[in-house]
Amino acid sequence: MLLEVRDLHVEFRTRDGVARAVNGVTYGVDAGETLAVLGESGSGKSVTAQAIMGILDTPPGRITGGEILFQGRDLLKLREDERRKVRGAEMAMIFQDALSSLNPVLTVGDQLGEMFVVHRGMSRKDARTKAVELMDRVRIPGAAARVRDYPHQFSGGMRQRIMIAMALALEPALIIADEPTTALDVTVQAQVMDLLAELQRELTMGLVLITHDLGVVADVADRIAVMYAGRIVETAPVHDLYKAPAHPYTRGLLDSIPRLDQKGRELYAIKGLPPSLTSIPPGCAFHPRCTTARDLCRTDVPPLHEVTGERGSACHFWTECLHG
Amino acid sequence: MSEPQPLEPTPAPSYVSGGTADLVPADAEILQTGPRPGGRGPSGPDPSAVPEERARSLWSDAWHDLRRNPVFLVSGFVILFLVAIALWPAAITSGNPLDCDLARAQQGSRPGHPFGFNGQGCDVYTRTVYGARTSVTVGVCATLGVAVLGSVLGGLAGYFGGVGDSVLSRITDVFFAIPVVLGGLVLLSVVTSSTVWPVIGFMVLLGWPQISRIARGSVITARQNDYVQAARALGASHTRVLLRHITPNAIAPVIVVATIALGTYIALEATLSYLGVGLKPPSVSWGIDISAASPYIRNAPHALLWPSGALAVTVLAFIMLGDAVRDALDPKLR
Repeated sequence: MLLEVRDLHVEFRTRDGVARAVNGVTYGVDAGETLAVLGESGSGKSVTAQAIMGILDTPPGRITGGEILFQGRDLLKLREDERRKVRGAEMAMIFQDALSSLNPVLTVGDQLGEMFVVHRGMSRKDARTKAVELMDRVRIPGAAARVRDYPHQFSGGMRQRIMIAMALALEPALIIADEPTTALDVTVQAQVMDLLAELQRELTMGLVLITHDLGVVADVADRIAVMYAGRIVETAPVHDLYKAPAHPYTRGLLDSIPRLDQKGRELYAIKGLPPSLTSIPPGCAFHPRCTTARDLCRTDVPPLHEVTGERGSACHFWTECLHG
Repeated sequence: MSEPQPLEPTPAPSYVSGGTADLVPADAEILQTGPRPGGRGPSGPDPSAVPEERARSLWSDAWHDLRRNPVFLVSGFVILFLVAIALWPAAITSGNPLDCDLARAQQGSRPGHPFGFNGQGCDVYTRTVYGARTSVTVGVCATLGVAVLGSVLGGLAGYFGGVGDSVLSRITDVFFAIPVVLGGLVLLSVVTSSTVWPVIGFMVLLGWPQISRIARGSVITARQNDYVQAARALGASHTRVLLRHITPNAIAPVIVVATIALGTYIALEATLSYLGVGLKPPSVSWGIDISAASPYIRNAPHALLWPSGALAVTVLAFIMLGDAVRDALDPKLR
């Protein structure tokens, strides 16, 4: 395994009490594999990613337990200066909003080149040459002329390409993409995802794709991990999950997808709201919204049951869900 | 990035074909038509296109705005003139500010002595010219000291936060509670040196908390930007993040406030000198002259009016410059 997150716990101290954002997340990615982490806002998917990258704001955030094994090393045990060498060079991150993720006062060439200056100690002139190569690689037309442009002069899709170029600059082994296409319009979304998938194949990188878009997932992911209230509730190869979900929450998500054969009818929605992270319900966190919840769900936290070798479901009654 | 923030009411799964289209708030095209000229078409797909105008950086954009601002031109001209006579007072006066003759006391204007003489029989014109040197020195040095000390302390506190930040914030509260004139009367009355340095030191001591607060606030704003997190995620060190990503995006308010403060430091120097705790004779200062001339306002009003007028014009020029710089660098502060 390239990256293995084991039983990770992260909490935030807020005025309203301790928000338990991540409560024992376990997932892994192999080289060349794409893992989609699916979940709604507040499910802990981005916080997990920040903990892996080591860019969690501490305080107020705090990693209270678990291990993050990257190429066999536990990142949480590394010193800050050792981790900084890993960041960017061996694992990199692509952010949701490329406009706000690029510094408005620096040219894109400066920002792309910065990777080489920081990690490779290159001169600024060589870094500029490298920046042009990178922009060519992510197919930005007229790279040599545009390397001196500022981020606001690029369109949304082009900016996201620049973010991808920055992340890929040093050919890291792992990329974490945090909703890379959410801020883009649909046609550009597809182009950007295709580009990302292609570069991933070329460099056989591991890709953790954080998203709440089931459409994006179906196209590019190998495996899916569904998160709810800071836990993984289901993990499965992508086609198995779409064919037969083994958790009521996943089933609810799939049922909420609009379908052509239901045109004109009311859309299905999971009832209720996601729990507040400062007061997660006891037992299964999903039980207040679950249509099949029973007494056991209100008291006992379900472990991640093994469904098959590759699948897991954190539902006490996963067999019923899977077959009925 | 929005994980600790309020939760969305419903999960947001969408069409397999990507139903987020109408949820996308800011389309690429909208952003592209953005704030400045010089940008090209929406996606710039034509590699042969040559930009008609090179994009300007924040600073050249600000300079472009400033050059067209009459307020900046007028105040800039006054300040250039002041700086020039502060550096080379002998260029426009051949007299010596300390060359006084009681026989000429309170006499009016006459050839060679356009502003007349003060109560000690010194040439008011020469003293007013030489007074500019003191004012500019005090203003510039105090502002530099305040800006450097305040932005370094405030910036570090804002960036790293934690205990250091809390301690610094309380210290600035303490300094804010000290009335400047009262503080000056107490602290400077024990100083015997007649140079400008104790006055400058006092201004830095009491002035840095103002800049420190502003620097802290603007660094906190800047560090929450996604590109700061992105820079960290790509392996930049704290030093690098601070210097390359935060400073250029956080320094504008500091420059604006410091420029406006420069005028008030000049006024403060005159106030302290007027009260007898700032500069002391034989230093030449507008404050000293105003103080010395005020008892004779009926007999020799010219001895009071010229240094007061010079002081007022100088302070006004710096405050106008500050306003112009603010409009150019940070229109949101307007």
